[in-house]
Amino acid sequence: MAQVKSKPTPASSFYLNDRFYERLCRIAREWSTAGEAAGADLRQTCEGLLFREARLLDDGEFEPWLGLFSRECAYWIPASYPPGDPRREVSQEFNDRRRLEDRVARIRTGHAYSQVPPTRTSHLLANLEVAAIGPAELRARASFAIHTYRMEVHRTLAGWCGYVLIREDGDWKIQLKQINLIDADQGQENNSFFL
Amino acid sequence: MNRIHTQTNDSRYDWNALMHDGQVHRSLYTDPAIFELEMVKVFGGTWTFLGHESEIAEPNDFITRRLGLRPLIITRDRAGKVHALLNRCSHRAATVCRLPSGSAKFFTCPYHGWAYTNQGELVSVPGEGAYGPEYRRADYNLAHLPRVDSYRGFIFGTLNPEAGPLVECLAGARPLLDQWLDRYPGTEIVVRSSAQRMVIRANWKMIYDNAGDGYHPSYSHRSLLQIAAERYGPDYDMQYFGKSSDPDDSPLYVQSLGNGHTFLDQRPEMHAESAWQRQRPQPGREAYETALKERVGEEEARGLLEVAVGSGMNLNIFPNLLIVGNQLQVLEPLAVDRSQVNWYGTTLSGVPDEINVLRMRTQEDFPALGDVDDNANFEACQAGLAIPELEWLDVSRHLRTKREQVDSHGIVTGPVTDDLHLREYYKEWKRLMSADLKLTVER
Repeated sequence: MAQVKSKPTPASSFYLNDRFYERLCRIAREWSTAGEAAGADLRQTCEGLLFREARLLDDGEFEPWLGLFSRECAYWIPASYPPGDPRREVSQEFNDRRRLEDRVARIRTGHAYSQVPPTRTSHLLANLEVAAIGPAELRARASFAIHTYRMEVHRTLAGWCGYVLIREDGDWKIQLKQINLIDADQGQENNSFFL
Repeated sequence: MNRIHTQTNDSRYDWNALMHDGQVHRSLYTDPAIFELEMVKVFGGTWTFLGHESEIAEPNDFITRRLGLRPLIITRDRAGKVHALLNRCSHRAATVCRLPSGSAKFFTCPYHGWAYTNQGELVSVPGEGAYGPEYRRADYNLAHLPRVDSYRGFIFGTLNPEAGPLVECLAGARPLLDQWLDRYPGTEIVVRSSAQRMVIRANWKMIYDNAGDGYHPSYSHRSLLQIAAERYGPDYDMQYFGKSSDPDDSPLYVQSLGNGHTFLDQRPEMHAESAWQRQRPQPGREAYETALKERVGEEEARGLLEVAVGSGMNLNIFPNLLIVGNQLQVLEPLAVDRSQVNWYGTTLSGVPDEINVLRMRTQEDFPALGDVDDNANFEACQAGLAIPELEWLDVSRHLRTKREQVDSHGIVTGPVTDDLHLREYYKEWKRLMSADLKLTVER
């Protein structure tokens, strides 16, 4: 398996500023109402990307999974329900590109003991709605069930995800993945894999 | 005022036989009957952290918490006074408040409509006449803890009328709590920033054991130290823990502060120069550092950024409050082999917003990337304890090396990997478990 040892560029978190957070908070309020329903082609593109993302996670292919995210991205698991402004609240996780790379690199050390042995997952997505926000942005919302198994414990995590997809270098990439657990504000067991 | 007393004398256990000579017995982590006793005597017999005043900042605010397994409502009444009410309708025991927080002048039990003020006074009982001539409504007020007190915003409560005053019981933890609170002049800690909540399949003391353990970081957190070194450089994050082949070859130390409270000080390394500089970069670091410097200038920014990152203090206030970095880590035992840990995020009042945004992203880092590995190890310890033939856990590091020193206030200081923390909190645990406490609730 490829090791992620590349040093991140120092500029890699300049993008996470007030403007980024404000847009994120606005999007988080609008998941259900934004934009026009996307046409069949865009919907299929989006579905393909999200299913691929789920499969890469289930297969532990974290490097190609990272490749699905845009250069300036956020992966966010709020710790409140409904989520508040992450500038004023801790989240279960709030990762920019650099910290996502940290997380993958951490698992790849072989010494991230919460993932030794790794959690097996099965990500199921349903109730997908896709909205087109202009020609270069899609927003999607889908319900999820993640079945997990590790060391004699089988669990199910449930909730819905919001995704912002943008065009980058000719491909659709995930700019934001917001994971809303139905029990976001409750105690969570070992969720040290990628949801 | 009615008082309800419970005697807690229990002769089933010989506590001296279950902990001695640098060993503790497995049953302290596996016996459901011991767990039940702990929930009454340890979480009840001494001052236990309940919440922070900023969580109930306004009159009529409330939060719900537990003291051991007892559900509580912590309220601030109209006049500003804090109460710790037992969340149990005096009629048929239903919890009268079922929300984690909010604002309410009254709590009305949804079952039969009994209504109480946020001071616990019963004010309405439907069909009250049916209770006969001897009935006195005041006998059915919500019960409350007889003693609730705050120290600089930290609310504690106990059922023990004989516990000393809170400030005295904090003992040597008090000046250290002051240091933690006074890191930046003119600011106050605010605990209204949500919490990372984790459930661990292990006894609560497994987690407490680790709170003063300077031995584990370079092993349990090896993945974190490795990515810090490989991706950022040799001075990042807690690499000072793994710097030398002898982990005690370090300016870090642990202390016993009295009454089971302990301290592990990482400041001599983490804050030797700039803790901000050695922080493995948190999301938004560059954007907010730049914005802050533009706003307040280079020099003031340098000082402020040091409170955007952790305190370097691990201050453990027995039995349930672990102050780690900038967070309040609060233990909630759920069952003998199941515990919840809540990492409450904190902001500072009176600092530029940039600092608090950075505090949020810094505070998420360790629970999500480091604590998870500790939790996996605690669960593995609990699994190993299933072997009845192997009865003992070892807590003897530096018990016999004569490396501990006692100062004139009775504060004991030992090398950073000393098991002092464990041995000392267990003394207080044993004192409480052995005592014939006269625990009291009032209504």
